[in-house]
Amino acid sequence: MGHSHRHASRRRWLRFGAAIATLGMVSVAFAGIGGASTDGRRAQQKGGGDLTFGLEAETTNYCLSRAQLAISGIQVVAAIYDTLTVPNSKGEAVPYLAKSLEPNADFTEWTIGLRDGIKFHNGEVLDAAAVKLNLDAFRGADGAPNSGPLFKVVLGFISDVTVVDPLTVKVTTKVPVANFGGYLFSTGRAGIMAPEQINAGEDCSTKMIGTGPFMLDQYLQNEKTVVKKNPDYWQKGYPKADSITFIPVVDGAVRVNQLQGGQLDVLHTSSAQQIDTLNGLGSSTATLLKQKPGVREIRYYVLLTKNAPFDDPGAREAFATALDKNKINQIRNKGLFDVANGNMDVAAPGYLKNAGYPKYSVKKAKALASAYKASSGGDFNVVLGTTTDPENSAEAQLMKSELAKAGISAEIAQFDQATLINEALAGSIDVLLWRNLHGGYTNTSDTDNYPWWSNADTGNFINFSQFNDDATQAALDAGRGESDPAKVKKDYTDFNKAMAAGNYIVPMWYVDWTIASVPSVKVNLPKLPDGAGKPLFVYGRIPVLGLSKS
Amino acid sequence: MPVQPSDPAAGAPRSAGAQIVHDAVDDGLLAESLAMTEAVSAGDEGKRRKGKPLGLGAKLALAWMAFVIAIALLSKFGILTWGDAQESVARCARKGPFADEGGASGYLLGCDSNGRNMAARLALGGWTSMLVATGAIALGFMVGGSLGLVAGYFGGKVDSVLTGMFNVLLSVPSVIMALALVAFLQGSPSEAATSGLPPELILIIAIGVVAIPLVGRITRASALSWSQREFVLAARAQGAKNGRVMVREVLPNVLPAMFSISLLGIAVAIVAEGTLSILGVGVKPPTPSWGNIIALDRGNLFKSPHIVFEASILIFITVLSLNYLGDVIRARFDVREGAL
Amino acid sequence: MSSDLIRLVAKRIAQLVVVLLIVSFFTFLLVRLLPGDPTNVIIPFGTDAQRAALRADLGLDKSFLGQYWSYLTGLLRGDFGTQYSSGRPVADLVNQSLPVSLQLMIYAQIFALFFAIPLGIFTAYRNGTRSDNALNTSAFALLALPNFVLALLLSFFVGAQLKWLPTGGYAPGWLDGFFDSSRSPDIGEHIRFMILPAITLSVGQIAVYMRLLRSDMIATLQENFITMAKAKGISNRRILWRHALRPSSLTLLTVAGLNVGTLIGGAVVVEVIYQIPGMGLKIFQAINAREYVELQSYIVVIATLFVLINFFVDFLYSVLDPRIRRARAAV
Repeated sequence: MGHSHRHASRRRWLRFGAAIATLGMVSVAFAGIGGASTDGRRAQQKGGGDLTFGLEAETTNYCLSRAQLAISGIQVVAAIYDTLTVPNSKGEAVPYLAKSLEPNADFTEWTIGLRDGIKFHNGEVLDAAAVKLNLDAFRGADGAPNSGPLFKVVLGFISDVTVVDPLTVKVTTKVPVANFGGYLFSTGRAGIMAPEQINAGEDCSTKMIGTGPFMLDQYLQNEKTVVKKNPDYWQKGYPKADSITFIPVVDGAVRVNQLQGGQLDVLHTSSAQQIDTLNGLGSSTATLLKQKPGVREIRYYVLLTKNAPFDDPGAREAFATALDKNKINQIRNKGLFDVANGNMDVAAPGYLKNAGYPKYSVKKAKALASAYKASSGGDFNVVLGTTTDPENSAEAQLMKSELAKAGISAEIAQFDQATLINEALAGSIDVLLWRNLHGGYTNTSDTDNYPWWSNADTGNFINFSQFNDDATQAALDAGRGESDPAKVKKDYTDFNKAMAAGNYIVPMWYVDWTIASVPSVKVNLPKLPDGAGKPLFVYGRIPVLGLSKS
Repeated sequence: MPVQPSDPAAGAPRSAGAQIVHDAVDDGLLAESLAMTEAVSAGDEGKRRKGKPLGLGAKLALAWMAFVIAIALLSKFGILTWGDAQESVARCARKGPFADEGGASGYLLGCDSNGRNMAARLALGGWTSMLVATGAIALGFMVGGSLGLVAGYFGGKVDSVLTGMFNVLLSVPSVIMALALVAFLQGSPSEAATSGLPPELILIIAIGVVAIPLVGRITRASALSWSQREFVLAARAQGAKNGRVMVREVLPNVLPAMFSISLLGIAVAIVAEGTLSILGVGVKPPTPSWGNIIALDRGNLFKSPHIVFEASILIFITVLSLNYLGDVIRARFDVREGAL
Repeated sequence: MSSDLIRLVAKRIAQLVVVLLIVSFFTFLLVRLLPGDPTNVIIPFGTDAQRAALRADLGLDKSFLGQYWSYLTGLLRGDFGTQYSSGRPVADLVNQSLPVSLQLMIYAQIFALFFAIPLGIFTAYRNGTRSDNALNTSAFALLALPNFVLALLLSFFVGAQLKWLPTGGYAPGWLDGFFDSSRSPDIGEHIRFMILPAITLSVGQIAVYMRLLRSDMIATLQENFITMAKAKGISNRRILWRHALRPSSLTLLTVAGLNVGTLIGGAVVVEVIYQIPGMGLKIFQAINAREYVELQSYIVVIATLFVLINFFVDFLYSVLDPRIRRARAAV
């Protein structure tokens, strides 16, 4: 390498460096006004606009029949897929993608009629064969591709699915199921996939093809899921938006920051502290939807009854008695949420103001705890299992210090969401900090409760408490075949009381899911087809087909 | 064989920092923290502070460290706790010291989002943070220092093997190494909750292991140069046992360098604990540490910024003081002169 | 290229292979020791028989060395294994995340050098003056500011409050398309997303680089040829930038070069806070989700890059400084 050559190359590099640096400075300078110019550009767009939607978690498996979807996944599913039924504002599961749903006299045969001319995003036709393929995969029929254990338990009551004609499917059940329609929604999890997706083997998990208002454009794990408008959607005039980009932003505070900073157009949150922050932001954000009392999710703690200490009813009562729900709600939620009276929300047929859950008393908890210690001849130690989210961590810490006052010593174990579920199933934690929907209208009480609370010895592994109780099981069985509202009410009231008597869970508060947005986002939901009324905002799931941005 | 520091080929005078970097580069690997350590000390080239009285900066740094250590010890041993670090008071939750809504009165630094006394948590957190950092660096120095000493003293194959080992350890970024070690040492989180090693010890080991190759390399470089000095060669020629020469002749000369670096190391380790806390594997709550106080309430910057600010300021001043003191000690002991 | 260099290169390549073998082996070992059963991640509700079948399918029933061997041969074929939860090839995930971290690293380095070099020269020139002291003290302060604190504050104040820049997230830049053809660049957005993280990462480096350059520069300025240049009446500016900078910048360039390896994947906390889908964030997620095949592949990729970059820096260093080349070739 000659000297002059080196000299020249150095000069080149210096020039290159200077160019890069200048570029950097210019971009910094422009960055300041960049936000405004971006907004301007977006405002000029016609149509429903491009939205970004901040989700609380990423979903890695969208093969619906074997997926374990939480709310974030359900929100994406609502964009790409349709379910055969949806709940209307009365809580009835009414036909949606299906045209009709008719039971026989004793609710053991359900006939699903399909709409003519609906196509999946890949051009495949939505016919009886496709629906049968889906239902068989969901229920885990012998030899069905891509079936998974979760729905296999939930839909275990189905004995057969048959194709009657190209637009008719018949489902036969082992026992009478009066509200089978609820299962075809399954809180939005039971989307109908194209045969190409179900038959795609492992690829089923991200090869999302449905009939829904949006089509998958791009899936980048942990980064974004982009869906674009389905121009041939069967509900005319929908969807409103041109595209939606779902971005997983796990940290609730960051999600709010991003909405505030204009990076997100819409977000969902169930954190009272973040809802409080949003309220404090004034007119720069708007609340699109707020979950109203009726079908709110419930925050509760599941006590694992399989092992000591919670195989002992006295220990469970001690634990439940030691927690001051009002204080914890005050500190963690600023008192913005309502303390829960049971595992059902106020609109549920089984709701009771006082189902018999223990009342807070340190003195009594102490006595119960020492009684347990004396009878078991040992300690009273429990492991609290929750996610790595800071707010959950703080809640567990608060529980720990409250429990200590009653002589119960607690340790905190934190996992990511999927691992938490696995750990709960493996039975390695004593208390699971959990959030789920069991509210149930008359028509969905069965769907919302049976899969979660039927006895563990029936093979129900998603009964995280792993209890076996004749009283709860009898009430659930009775409710399942019942269609008379008065009798339904009685069955689930009995169920509620039996749950309280067993102390399998400690209900804490009702969660007000909130969907917030920048002010330019509007939601305009279509009426349900065939005059079935208005759709219901449930489980924090917003029907994204009605979102638009001006 | 690396270039000897005394090699006339090295020619132009170069700072000791550069020299050690130079030396390390010879083996192809060097880590960020090492560079950082060197950079901190490199700034004082040309100043001879030996024997001079301490400057104002050093006095302030010393005073701060004394203050923080005193507070931490008093709090840990329950002599002056500033309040209950675990009790949650609903009326104080999320309120800062200057909250106008009332409720934080009687709480010098306000409360965290669980309504716990910030002053008490910061004091106790100081104990935890410094315990973890000091423990980790002590471990790193004992293991890394010994290995580096052996490598530098014996040279040859021993040196090649040990240096190779350091290089392998250094090729995985330190944060990732620490994360994986914590995951491994904890076992399944539910096991960790009831059995296994104490959580603070897990962190000490994880951060300590990460420090081993860094300390090892620095010690090796220093030991290497001292092992070539006449008095060491003479001792060896006279048939003194290697172990004895190493401990009696080489170690005392290497120690001052290690001591000054150890202060910088503790500073780095305090930050490391904070980093791991943000990633969810730091000191296990509800035991407070400066890191996990920030991690827990980083989502409350909008409504309750005091929580993150108070803990951040403590970390900042403490790290600053440690860096400064390390630097001063280095200059006073004239480590550089000795190393050359 | 002289024979010295060829020998050096050969020696380095041999070292490289050995280091990589050891790193991959220990990574594999460490990952096997981590808690949790992979079959739990894939089929959480599976029966024991299903688990056993799956273990056989994944090769987990083979001996440890057998597993390592098939992993190693897979790596050589570019097969990084699959992600348990989704069944996707890890190689795809690497192709998505590696360019992200590479770009972030490059920007951080440019920022750091852009500020550090003038400051280093200035403080060396003004050695011992008040401005030198002030800048040195500031550098100390910057060094004491933890990355995560800076990231939280910048993201919150500059992002959420002032709305000047995004609080976090990512848009593809000029490099992503090379690794994953499905990604089209959006340079404007990309730069907006990368400014705050790059600043966060570079702040500590500015202090490091500045002090390194300053100390070497002071030594250079005492040399005869500088005195001579001054005597000839060459301007101070020219002496500093043209004559003194180059001989003083070796240490700085070396450390900057070596930092390249550390910044890829080592920027975990910055990537986590700013939600940048680079190697650091992926590794963090993989550890949390117990995706061990994914984890070990990331670590091996990073270690390989680290070793390669060091190799390159070392090589460059030898080329730039003939004294080292001579000394090394003599061994």
